[in-house]
Amino acid sequence: MELETLLTAILLVPLGSAAMIALFLRRGGYAAAAVSVVAAAVILGLSLTFLLTWNGVTQEVSTVWLTLGSYEVTMGFLVNYQTATMLFIVAFVGFWIHVFSVGYMNEDESKGRFFGGLSIFMFSMLGIVLANNLIMIFVFWELVGFSSYMLIAHYWDKDYAAAASKKAFIVNRVGDFGFILGIVWTYWQYGTTNLVLLDAQLNNDASTVLGLLLACGFIGKSAQFPLHVWLTDAMAGPTPVSALIHAATMVAAGVYFMARIFFMLSPETQEVILWLCAAMTLFAGLCALGQTDIKKTLAYSTLSHLGFMGAAIGLGFPSLALLHMAMHAFFKATLFLCSGSVIHACHHEQDMFKMGGLWRKMPITTLTCILAALSIMAVPYFAGFYSKDTILSGAWLLAHTDGRYYVIYAILLLAALSTALYTGRMVWVVFFGQSNSDNAAHAKESNLFMTVPLLVLAAFSVGAAWFLEFDVSLLPETVTVALKHGYATITQADVVHHSHYLLLGLSVGVMIVGVLATFFFYGPGASEDKLQRRYGLVYKILHKHGWFDDVYDAYVVKVQQRVADFFGFLDLILISGFMVRGTAGLAGLLSLVTRSFHVGSIHGYVYWFLAGVVIFGAFAFHLI
Amino acid sequence: MSITLNEFLFVSGLLFTIGFLGVLLRRNTLIIYMGLELMLNAVNLALVGFSRFNQTMDGNIFVFFIITVAAAEVAVGLAIIVALYRKRQTVMVDELNALSH
Amino acid sequence: MTDLNTILLQLAVFIPLICGVLLFLGKRLEMNVAKSIALSGFLSPAVIALWLWSEFGAADKGAGGYAFASSLDTGLQDAFGIALHLGLNGIALPMFVLAGIVGAAAGLHALQSRAERLVTYLQLLLFMLGGLMGVFASVDIFFFYFFHELALIPTFIMIGIWGGQGRRVAAMELTIYLTLGAMLSLIGLIALYAAGGWAAGAGFNLIELKKQLVAVDANTQAQIFGLLLIGFGILVSLFPFHSWAPRGYAAAPTSAAMLHAGVLKKFGLYGLIQIAAPLLPKGVEAWSSLIIWLALGNLVLLGLVTMAQRDLKQLIGYSSVMHMGYCFLGIVTMSVIGIGGAVLLMFAHGLSVALMFMLATSVYNRTRTYDLTAMGGLGKKAPVLAAIFVAGTMASIGLPGFANFWGEFTIFVALWEQHSWAVAPAVAAVVISAIYGLRAVAQIFYGPPTQALSAVDETSPITDITFSEKLPAAILLVALLAVGIWPKSVTEPLNHELVNQVVFKNPVVEKPADALAQTEPSNVSDPRIPSS
Repeated sequence: MELETLLTAILLVPLGSAAMIALFLRRGGYAAAAVSVVAAAVILGLSLTFLLTWNGVTQEVSTVWLTLGSYEVTMGFLVNYQTATMLFIVAFVGFWIHVFSVGYMNEDESKGRFFGGLSIFMFSMLGIVLANNLIMIFVFWELVGFSSYMLIAHYWDKDYAAAASKKAFIVNRVGDFGFILGIVWTYWQYGTTNLVLLDAQLNNDASTVLGLLLACGFIGKSAQFPLHVWLTDAMAGPTPVSALIHAATMVAAGVYFMARIFFMLSPETQEVILWLCAAMTLFAGLCALGQTDIKKTLAYSTLSHLGFMGAAIGLGFPSLALLHMAMHAFFKATLFLCSGSVIHACHHEQDMFKMGGLWRKMPITTLTCILAALSIMAVPYFAGFYSKDTILSGAWLLAHTDGRYYVIYAILLLAALSTALYTGRMVWVVFFGQSNSDNAAHAKESNLFMTVPLLVLAAFSVGAAWFLEFDVSLLPETVTVALKHGYATITQADVVHHSHYLLLGLSVGVMIVGVLATFFFYGPGASEDKLQRRYGLVYKILHKHGWFDDVYDAYVVKVQQRVADFFGFLDLILISGFMVRGTAGLAGLLSLVTRSFHVGSIHGYVYWFLAGVVIFGAFAFHLI
Repeated sequence: MSITLNEFLFVSGLLFTIGFLGVLLRRNTLIIYMGLELMLNAVNLALVGFSRFNQTMDGNIFVFFIITVAAAEVAVGLAIIVALYRKRQTVMVDELNALSH
Repeated sequence: MTDLNTILLQLAVFIPLICGVLLFLGKRLEMNVAKSIALSGFLSPAVIALWLWSEFGAADKGAGGYAFASSLDTGLQDAFGIALHLGLNGIALPMFVLAGIVGAAAGLHALQSRAERLVTYLQLLLFMLGGLMGVFASVDIFFFYFFHELALIPTFIMIGIWGGQGRRVAAMELTIYLTLGAMLSLIGLIALYAAGGWAAGAGFNLIELKKQLVAVDANTQAQIFGLLLIGFGILVSLFPFHSWAPRGYAAAPTSAAMLHAGVLKKFGLYGLIQIAAPLLPKGVEAWSSLIIWLALGNLVLLGLVTMAQRDLKQLIGYSSVMHMGYCFLGIVTMSVIGIGGAVLLMFAHGLSVALMFMLATSVYNRTRTYDLTAMGGLGKKAPVLAAIFVAGTMASIGLPGFANFWGEFTIFVALWEQHSWAVAPAVAAVVISAIYGLRAVAQIFYGPPTQALSAVDETSPITDITFSEKLPAAILLVALLAVGIWPKSVTEPLNHELVNQVVFKNPVVEKPADALAQTEPSNVSDPRIPSS
């Protein structure tokens, strides 16, 4: 099949599925699920066809969508190795999460709405993946935000879900504020928003402010500081949504975008991103220890790993960021789906400390969760190890020329420790020990729809990166080219090669410390959070994640709303009151004065008449 | 002593003033109306005087016009006053102020 | 075929008026017959407009770029240079279609509204629609104004009689304020006529005036433009002349609000784009900084005021006032991009605000209140209504996929080129609109049902949106989506027209030569590896 047709089909199939569900299948739950899953399968099939037949040459096609004078908006596809990587992730992980959702949502009443939303999301996400210019990326960026809004609000009769969806959309919009400014500036500065044409003109020498403005979009979408507050609240949506959108793909879109436009980021921009994201990595990792809700823990984990990816971009290694993004998609999706399986089995209980002892009741879930946990903790030979540790090596590598990067290395290493801590805590508390509630006691393994995707994704969490070390590859070759290159340039650098065992020792050491510490501190199957009991203040800081949410909420209620009310008051009093009713009042005043002349008595009128005669006479005799 | 034009004009002016003051100061509509008639007749007198002392007929002719118009005006005016009396039961001008603000 | 199209254009203007008059004569008609006459009066302009839209590309665009032109001498041609000159150019076409579509939706809504004295109500709407179609089809400035007044008068009557709470006061305020604006713009238009030299035979004909007014000096242009700006500005609710809008729309009956906010408000902007800007470019320049500040006042200040609203209809009213700010920013750039974006946004905004007013009434019919703080949880009972309401909100806050996005984004692009400092506050307004839009949706539809809602539900059970409500909503939504997905449909004719008008700048950025020759994708290598 011709490239253009293939890609157009990949893009339009989910749109067709969404349209069909919206128009005809709103009430047909299983039919809607079937349509959506079939669409996802078709996307996966077409994507694999593309990936296996593509010859590796960068290609671009586009059509003009709108012309006004010299201003043109085009829609088109740009296919290079980055596209290939992301396409595989979205299609593959998306498909398995679709299958999982069939099992997870089987008791839900609004399946139609849910699966329609998933299809719209796939359409929007694929648009970002395939786009060839900034304006098209922005169009699908917003659509992805809308899908996220719709799906977070799935349980719309709960207040917190409604508030969370609103927050997600608005915080994203704030990021888009900078994004739009960046795009418009780019258009006038370089005459185009097409990525290929920009690449030809730029070599990391665009203005820093421009780079930071474009990075605003990344900060909003990938929930970095200071726009990170929406991601944890977004856990109000159903777990498959959290897995697909808020872990594997949508939040990764920001990272993908940064990698795509990497040639536009000046060294100063990269520096800013690096420090912001490194700080977030550590901060989020620690905050994960302050959550009892299993999904919120994973949300903070996602924030932390997005920080890793951002740090990779900041260090100057975009293909490393993509590598970690890909691996993260696998193990994070697995972890979220495991949590979904557990939540479903415990009748929507989400508090970790009310679970416990589930390894007996849900062996497959436990196994897959442990595999994914080992991957996220960067155990050697697991997928997460290859990506995460290489980022650490990258920081180490740059530290040799610039000592400041040792600080970065330290921060990232501590973040790795925190990963081990919160992951260990989660695994020990949820799966081992004794059951802490009735729900947990009566749990049983989930059905096939849920366990098969778990097994597949867990397998990938283990072996997805084997193409880097061995000759075995679970991923098509076109997907791995870019990733291999980035990995090789770092690990084969002399500095890293010499310190190989030191770095390995540090990472593994950190991991073992984390796992053992949590085993002894929390204890398997704990029924309450020991940190909360013993070190209440520390726990409180982590739980409130530095009071960011409270600050923002206070701002909204006390500052923003008051300013709005103030202006509303001014508008009412000054403009409607003074200006409009005031003018009416003036007219009224004038009329009062002129009215007073009409006394109604003949005598008065005769006097007026006399006065008039006198005045006329004076005129006539030239006295006036 | 001989009667000159001045005497005519003096009497005419006197009558006019009386009539004007009557319009200004009296409260009864009918008296005001009489004042109006006085003013008109004062003018008549002045015209006749001019006509006689200038040996011309113009003034006398004009007097006839004025008399005719005054008669018509009185007819209409008195009709209005009678209708107004029937409606408002008064002819006092200070009670007829419905057109005030 | 061209002659048929010309006649169709005239029919589109006159059929609603004729149907309105017919309803007068047939006062004793049976309700169904009257409704059918009204229905044909509402639908025919829409159908004709869509047909002419498809025919526009190939049509012969005679002198001055107007297609389907026709001229009827009303006897005033020799004395004043006035003729009933109808025609459509690239700028008028989208507005003409807008008027048709919103007219159809408003009419359909009115037919099922169960208002008292329905026949009179439909008559007034028909007159209004006829006036609106005439406004955008006029090439003659006098009849442009005449049709506007024809469309405005019924509004006053409709608000005064069929309106909601506070309708008497609102109708009075609206009447006097808008008449003031109309009179100021009339003075401006007559000044144009005078400056064109009425002896020279240009009269009120726009095409002729364009040729005559090129030579007028900058000062006169500035003065005339100032009159037109304030006059039209009042009609478009430019800050600070906006107070009539929220209360007026809140008190207005639905169909009147749809037509007024959706179409009639665009009259001022259309006048500025079609008449004032091409004829008085130096005038625009002289006033440009004031326009920008006032437009930003619309966007930011009134955006904040919108956030403070607790009444649903007032929220939508203030929101519609706010979005006019974007259009002014587009106009002030005097470039093809800016004006094109402004027209695109006018088209899109007309559809979306009409949709929102209609849905507000649907919400009211179910919750018996407009107070946002008393609503909540309607989504459970009326999910389809919720979905359509969310779609309308998303359209009005500029989500891609709906036409509004293209208009707003294009205006940002145009504005950056000339007044880049103003772009940041304008984009901030996008965030503000998202805040109040989503907040309204959440307050009405999400969460558990409030006490007030449950109380209403017990007396009259709340049903989901009915077919007769869905039909007009569907018309508007389909139009929004169609142009949102395929904006070329509007911008093609628009682009041709604007590029031909010499007065509009067409800034060109040098595009680099195609650089796809490289085979090695530069994004694979990581540039920061030190060469140690």
